[in-house]
Amino acid sequence: MSALGYQLGAVDCDIHVAPAAYSDLLPYLSDYWRQYISEAAVRLTGVGHAYPPGAPVTATAQARERGWATPPSTYEQLAERYLDEAQPGHVVLNCLAGFDTHRNPYFSAAVAGALNDWVRETFLRRDDRLRASLSVSPVSPDDATAEIERVGDDPGFVQVLLPVRSDLPWGHKNNHAMFAAARERSLQVALHAWGRAGRSLTPSGFTTTYLEDYLANQPIAQAQMLSFVSEGVFERFPDLRVMVTECGFAWLPTLLWRFDKDWKGVWREVPWVKDLPSEYVGRHFCLTTAPAHLPPEDTGRAQLLEMLGGPAMLVYASDFPHDHGDSVAPLLDQLSAEDRAGVLQNTAAAFYGLDAVRTYTSP
Amino acid sequence: MKLIDCDVHAQATEPMLAEHLGPWARAQLERYGRRTPRTTDWYPRARNGGMRVDAWPDKPGHIWGSDPELLREQLLDEYDVDYAILEVLSGQDCYDHPDFAREWNHAINEWQAETWLGFDSRLRGTIAVAHEYPDLAVKEIEERADDPRFVAVLLPASAAEPLGAPKYWPIYRAATECGRPVVVHTGGYVDHRGAGYPSFYLDYHVGNGIVTQGQLTSMVAGGLFEEVPGVRVVLTESGVAWVAALRWSLDAAWELMRADHPRLTRPPSHYLDEHVWFTTQPIEEPEDPSHLVYAIDQAHLRDKLLFATDYPHWDFDSPTQALPRVIDKELRRKILCENAADLYGFPRERPEPAATAGVQAS
Repeated sequence: MSALGYQLGAVDCDIHVAPAAYSDLLPYLSDYWRQYISEAAVRLTGVGHAYPPGAPVTATAQARERGWATPPSTYEQLAERYLDEAQPGHVVLNCLAGFDTHRNPYFSAAVAGALNDWVRETFLRRDDRLRASLSVSPVSPDDATAEIERVGDDPGFVQVLLPVRSDLPWGHKNNHAMFAAARERSLQVALHAWGRAGRSLTPSGFTTTYLEDYLANQPIAQAQMLSFVSEGVFERFPDLRVMVTECGFAWLPTLLWRFDKDWKGVWREVPWVKDLPSEYVGRHFCLTTAPAHLPPEDTGRAQLLEMLGGPAMLVYASDFPHDHGDSVAPLLDQLSAEDRAGVLQNTAAAFYGLDAVRTYTSP
Repeated sequence: MKLIDCDVHAQATEPMLAEHLGPWARAQLERYGRRTPRTTDWYPRARNGGMRVDAWPDKPGHIWGSDPELLREQLLDEYDVDYAILEVLSGQDCYDHPDFAREWNHAINEWQAETWLGFDSRLRGTIAVAHEYPDLAVKEIEERADDPRFVAVLLPASAAEPLGAPKYWPIYRAATECGRPVVVHTGGYVDHRGAGYPSFYLDYHVGNGIVTQGQLTSMVAGGLFEEVPGVRVVLTESGVAWVAALRWSLDAAWELMRADHPRLTRPPSHYLDEHVWFTTQPIEEPEDPSHLVYAIDQAHLRDKLLFATDYPHWDFDSPTQALPRVIDKELRRKILCENAADLYGFPRERPEPAATAGVQAS
C-alpha cells in the first residue's frame, strides 16, 4: 500500500477527472453551443450537489492541503496527484460533469460528446494504463445510443457511465437500445453515485442534509439493481455487465435474500426472469470498494464475506480524490492472496477485458 | 404467553367508513371517491390479488380483512394469538384536504373501536392520523389517548416529506407523551424518485425495504431521536436483514460529517439501538438460514424484533413456519412475544381464560 493508502499496481475502477471549466470543452463544441454557454453564462458546477467544495467527501485532507481539492483537469495533474503515487495497473476514469442537471436534451447530448472528446484527447491518448467511462446524455436514451455509436469503438472507453439517480430505472425497456449499442462495441455499463440534482431522491420527499443525499446513493443503487433483473435486461443482453460504482456493497447479500424470496412468490409477473434474481446479480454485477462502510469487527467482516459468497463481485476503487472516511483495507486484509488479487486486479480485468495488466503480487 | 402478532390488517370498505363521516365528508366521498391513486392499481399484485385466497368472507358487502369473525377464526384461534395489533391502512394518503383527512382518519378509528376492539379482547388498535396535518393528527392522538386498546400511532412509510422532517415531530411527541410507539407501515405516498418508478410489483415490493432505509436515515440525520428523547419507532413490513448495513453506513457517514450534525451527540447506531423496533414479515430468507442470525446480531436486533404475520396478505408469514430452526429457543420467544410484550406493556403472562371469555362475550 502506498503512503496515501493506494493499493499499488491495482486496477483502480473509479478515479475522477473533470474539466476545470466549460472553456476546456469549447474546442469540442459547435459554434451554437459555444455561444449558448457564453450568453447564458452556463457554469460547469463540478456536480456541485454531489461534491460541494468544502464537504469532507469531496477530497482527502492530504489533497486539500496541497490545493488539490478538485479532480484533475490535465494529464500532468493526474500524474502528479495520483498516477505517480498510486502506480496503478490500469485506471478507469470517471468524469461526472455530464451528470449536471441540464434539462435541455440537445445541450445534454452536446456536453456528453464534448466530454468524451476531451477525455480522449486529454488523458486516453497520453497513457496506456488509462481507460475511461463513456459519458452519455442521462435525459435522452436516443442521444445516449448515438453517442455510443459515435465514440464507442475507441478501445479507451470501457463502459457507459450512467448516474445512479434517474428519471426512470435504468433497466426499463426504453433504455435497451442503448445497451444494445454498448454491447455491439463490447462496452459494459457503470452506475455511478449521484446525478439528477434538484429532484427528490427519496420516495418520501426532499432531503435536507448532505448526509442523507450521500447515503441515498446506496438504496438507489439497490433499486436500480432490481430494475436490471426484473426487466429481463440480462436475458436480452447475456454478456452485459454492470459496475455499481461509489454506492457501497455491504447491503448486497440481504437485498438478494429478499429479492429471491419475492420472486419465488410473484415470478408470474416477470416470466422472462428465469433464474433466481441473485444468480443474475452474481453473474452480471460488480461493485466498487469505495465507500466500503464495513462492520467494525473482524468477525462481522468475516460474516459479511461469507454472506457475499466471497469477494468475487468486488473490485477495487480508490475513488481519488474523494474521501469516504473509511477504507476497504481491513476487508482486504482478511482475504487469501488469491482473493485479494481478484479484488485488486483480476475481477476488474475480466470485467473490462483488459489483457495487458501487469501481474499483481500480494505484498 | 406465546404469540403477539404485530402486523394484522383490518380493512374497511368505503361504505363502512362512510357511516362514521359527517355529511360534508360523506358527500365528498360520494362525489369523488378516494383521491389517492392506489398502488394496487399501479402495481397489481401478481398473486391472488394480493390476498390469501381464503381471506375473502362469504358475506355480502365484505372484503378481505373486513370481517372480525373470519379473522378470529383464521388468525387468533388458528394460531392461539395472545394479542394482534391492527393496522388499518386506509388513511395513509397525502392527497386529501385537511378537513377530509381529519374526518377520514377519525372514521377509521371509530370503526376500529366499534367493529374490532370491542369484538375480541385480543385485538389492539393503532391510531390512524392525518399525518400531513400534524396539528390535526395530534388532536386525534389526544382523543384516543385514554383508550388503552389503541396501543400505537400509525404512520405510512412514505409521506410528503421524509419521516424525520421537523414537520412530523409533533406527531412523534404526542405519541410519546401518551406512551405510544409510532408504527411506520409500508405504504403511503409512493413516488419513487431516486431511481424513478419501477415497472413491476416485484421491484416495488422488494423496494419497500429500500424505502425504509431512507426513512431511518432521515430520522437519524434530522435529529428526531434527540428532539423526542423517549420516542419509540416500529418499522413494519419493511424487512429486517438490511439494518446492519445501514448502521455501518450511518456510523461511517456520521464519523465523516459530525460537524454538520451538532444535534447528534452519539453515533447513529446508538439511536437505533435505543429507539427502533422492526417487525419480521416478510422476513428475509437467505439460502443458509444461519446468515439471518448473523444479520440479526450484526444489527443488535435480538430485543427489537417483533413477530408479524401480515394477515390477510398473500405473503402471510406463518407463526409456525416463518422463523427458521436456526433461531434458538430464547430468541424465538423474544421475537414471538416477549419483545412486543415489553414494548407495548402487555403482561408477559397470559390472562386468566375466564376473563378473556368474559370480554369476548360482551
